[in-house]
Amino acid sequence: MRDNAKSGALTEVTFYILLSLYTPKHGYAVMQFIEEKTDGRLALGAGTLYGALNSLQDKGWIAPCRDSEGRKKEYLITTQGKEIAEKELVRLNELVRIAKGIIGGTA
Amino acid sequence: MSKKYYRFFGGLLKAQENWLNKMSEKGYRLIRTGRMLYEFEECKPNQSKYCVEFIGQKSKDGAKDYHDFFEDMGYKVFYKNINLNYSVGKVRWRPWAEKGGRIATNATTFNRELLIIEKENDGKPFELHTSHKDKENYYKSLRNPWLMILLMLAIFAVGNRSVVFGIFALISLIPVLVYQTQILKNRQDAKTKEW
Repeated sequence: MRDNAKSGALTEVTFYILLSLYTPKHGYAVMQFIEEKTDGRLALGAGTLYGALNSLQDKGWIAPCRDSEGRKKEYLITTQGKEIAEKELVRLNELVRIAKGIIGGTA
Repeated sequence: MSKKYYRFFGGLLKAQENWLNKMSEKGYRLIRTGRMLYEFEECKPNQSKYCVEFIGQKSKDGAKDYHDFFEDMGYKVFYKNINLNYSVGKVRWRPWAEKGGRIATNATTFNRELLIIEKENDGKPFELHTSHKDKENYYKSLRNPWLMILLMLAIFAVGNRSVVFGIFALISLIPVLVYQTQILKNRQDAKTKEW
């Protein structure tokens, strides 16, 4: 599975990483964020997380920064990354609205 | 009281990983590695879990960055050699490395082809690669060195009409097939599943 730039559909890993980085975080905090939010359903391996962070950095969706002590490497979402995440939210909302109309939602 | 063991696992990464985890079950944790040396200290049984990762395809900076990333994750990381080379000032070309081949020397990644990563046991399984796409890429980095060895031996065997090289070539075909199976399996799974 890969991120589809045209339709804007993101993989779950990508979307969660982007969401986690609205505040600066280092690798371990990103991993914890995702595990907590998904109740442990999505547990990322450190090697997979490393690859994902690097490819998002290459795309310019996130950028590295130093933490206050300047020791651990932290990441933060970029303006471009935010645009991508917001577009995906709009797309998902549309999808949910249409699905609810057909399947019948709880709302 | 530290305990020293001498072992050589070569390319059998899983065997090395299993042995380290067995030692952990018995109440030993790794404190130092040498060419064939594994030094342990006593601790509570099952206190840590181990993964062995191949990084021979990476550049010096790439390997260091990967190493530091794991340390920042709160893991303890050891460098380890994959082969037994008594060498100083070694320079070797690795055509199978990332970006179409790299030169490895003693100052870069030569004799530092592996990382041993130790995590405090939290009861959850310890896996470094979880998504199918990422697993496919990792198995590729494991397959490529063997593929090169296989090709070289096959050329020697045919060129010299040598049975000995032919047998070695057949032996090196085994890891190529093992990793290739994993690559294809994960590539297939990646079409429909993310992890």
